[in-house]
Amino acid sequence: MNVGDTVGNYRVLAKLGQGGMGTVFRARDEVLHRDVAVKVLSSHTIAEKSAKDLLLHEARAASALSHPNICMIHQVGETGGDLFIVMEMVEGRPLSELIGKDGLPVESILRYGVQIAGALTHSHNRNVIHRDLKSANVMITPEGLVKVLDFGLARRIHKEVLPETARTLDSLGASDETTMESTGGLTGTIPYMAPELLKGQLTDQRADIWALGVVLYEAASGKLPFLGQTILETSGAILHELPAPLPAWVPQGLWAVVQRCLSKDPQQRYQRASEVLAALEAVQTASVVGGGATTSIPTGPATTVLRGVRAVAVKDGDVLLLVGTMKGAFLLRSHAKRANWNVMGPVFHGQAVYSLAYDGREGRRRLWASTASYWGTLLRSSDDFGRTWANLQQASIKFPPDCGASLKNIWQVCLGREDEPDTMYCGVEPAALFVSQDAGESWSLVRGLFDHPHRPRWVPGNGGLCLHTVVLDPSERQRMYVAISAGGVYRTDDGGATWQARNRGICVRHEPNRFPEFGQCVHKVVLHPSRPERLFLQHHWGIYRSDDHGDSWQSISNGVPSDFGFAMLAHPRDPDCVYVLPIESDEFRCTPDGRLRVYRTRNAGSSWEPLSKGLPQKGAYETVLRDAMHTDGLEPAGIYFGTRSGDLFGSTDEGKTWKLILGGLPPVVCVKSVVIGEPGNDGKIQAAAKKRQSSKAPKKGSAGKKRGKR
Amino acid sequence: MPAKNEASANVPVTIYIPGPLRPFSGGRPRVELKNSPETLRDALDELWKEYPGIRDRVITEEGRLREHINIFVGNENVRYTGDFATRLAPGAEISILPAVSGG
Repeated sequence: MNVGDTVGNYRVLAKLGQGGMGTVFRARDEVLHRDVAVKVLSSHTIAEKSAKDLLLHEARAASALSHPNICMIHQVGETGGDLFIVMEMVEGRPLSELIGKDGLPVESILRYGVQIAGALTHSHNRNVIHRDLKSANVMITPEGLVKVLDFGLARRIHKEVLPETARTLDSLGASDETTMESTGGLTGTIPYMAPELLKGQLTDQRADIWALGVVLYEAASGKLPFLGQTILETSGAILHELPAPLPAWVPQGLWAVVQRCLSKDPQQRYQRASEVLAALEAVQTASVVGGGATTSIPTGPATTVLRGVRAVAVKDGDVLLLVGTMKGAFLLRSHAKRANWNVMGPVFHGQAVYSLAYDGREGRRRLWASTASYWGTLLRSSDDFGRTWANLQQASIKFPPDCGASLKNIWQVCLGREDEPDTMYCGVEPAALFVSQDAGESWSLVRGLFDHPHRPRWVPGNGGLCLHTVVLDPSERQRMYVAISAGGVYRTDDGGATWQARNRGICVRHEPNRFPEFGQCVHKVVLHPSRPERLFLQHHWGIYRSDDHGDSWQSISNGVPSDFGFAMLAHPRDPDCVYVLPIESDEFRCTPDGRLRVYRTRNAGSSWEPLSKGLPQKGAYETVLRDAMHTDGLEPAGIYFGTRSGDLFGSTDEGKTWKLILGGLPPVVCVKSVVIGEPGNDGKIQAAAKKRQSSKAPKKGSAGKKRGKR
Repeated sequence: MPAKNEASANVPVTIYIPGPLRPFSGGRPRVELKNSPETLRDALDELWKEYPGIRDRVITEEGRLREHINIFVGNENVRYTGDFATRLAPGAEISILPAVSGG
């Protein structure tokens, strides 16, 4: 084909360019009176008839695509042995030319990225994979509209021109120079190739998602993420290296999207272009709201993209079980019926996850996890149900320099009340309380408690000197409780400025004075939100109740096989109902008689009943730790607990019958259950209590009055 | 002689970054320090000036080496050579490694 020729309805006007695939001409459609681009694929490029037929087939499939960001294919045909493709004439410049040496402004990257992802979404939905997405194939019109070129055309061409397109890296490595030469015009494409393509494995639409990641990276930095002097070096980088962090001014959200696109394992990438589109749109919204402000601290990988973990899809109304273990966290999802559970995990491989929480306040869908490893303890959050986790450069919870203390562990993440949606608390080891007033962004030590004169005399329990429980009074904003092992219960009535030990009546056996002011080894405290003056407490030895905000405690251990235990749970609606999990003794920290039994009182502790149907009753020497039992708050309440030997049990009928949900986990430290779309574990229960309070004012009075009704 | 000293002083100090920390070093397994730090403390200060994410993962907020992390200069554990005051020769190789401990 030459300038001046006429092929069918098209008169060739000018040669626009030449590339690896062939020559591009501007031509005039004499019937429709419009200019078109005609790409001619020379016969030597595609020698075999079968390859030619396939290309024609794929070009025809691509011609069915109709999307504002995809360059339309009008016709495919053959002339004089050459294949030609007639396309929409796009006026503009390729993205590769617009990207300067330092990249594009964030706003432009996002604007173009959203359009490219939109184009891929459309084509993937129609089973057309691009296979050669690169910045040179993305045209930008003077109006800023993206047009992606050459959809679906690359597959056969690559196989023909680059015969074993690196079926294996070894074959590429046989001779760098030769391979470089033999690939001719396609060398520019290698940096966009996904690892699976280089390994000669079967590829799918996720190779396009990789290429999109490369394009976004290039647009943000002006550099390709993987580039060497030779194909071997470039391929090696694609297969084995991590991309260098993007410049500091690139929003962390965009960097997270790019990293996810560039996951070596296709399973770990976004699985669909629509997901990338949604993520980029979210970043776009965030950067508009944030006014483009950037931090002065150099940013690195703000986000950890989980490897080797399949995400579970979560929607509002689903029940989520968050399970923290000594070797990572697991997330389980079920519909409201709670019959079947999808499992995701382990998240944070090998790290101890002592605390998990869900913040659903103010429309958030945020998970929190504390992770402890050789490399320290971190508080991390995820806004996409655990697929990606914030990975801060600097730990957000630190003791101030004058404290002479270093954070060892975070034992409890506690959300503030529903009407203080940006407040959060963390109970930590060594025993201290931290508070955040900006939804977990920054934290400060609660000095009133840290400077308490009792603190030097608190002694570590078996698990260390930890503040493991934070309980908020839902009706009195200034009042809250903490429990310290071993320091006891402390209450503040002035929002944390001052704290008073509240342990009167709690008996200790490790001191001559059986009733000291403080020093009790409290294992758990729970409060019922509809009767905020009432608390229940599991002590190292003893189960107690207080009906006066913790001013005094009375033993309610009568009727349990052992008063030792860790876990304790308040029923979400019934203020007289509490669950415990008795452990034989201090020395033998296992369920008594090898029988795993939950005990429940429905009369505020006057009597207890064992709940064991469905639980192992022979040879079950289990321990259930203090935070390893929780309720979803639904009606009837789902109750869940995990054992140190790694079994997770659940009941959907308030404890009458139990089922093993998941076995063989690492030792379970923490179990939280939440309903997605509701304010959150603490907030939700408080909300339920408010409803209850508004319909029926809480009755003050002794538990004895209630007892009679049971 | 002066020429020789000058040459050896120019051999950079290298810090080897363990896998779990490479997300904070831009994926780099080793970092060559531009300046010529005299002590381990100087070298680490230079490292986290460039890669701030590494700091909190190696030392506590009190500035102590984390309990289960070891730093070696050459083959010597710095816990036996003066901790952060350990002196560095030109071309010293520093390794940050998790200890074999825990369960």
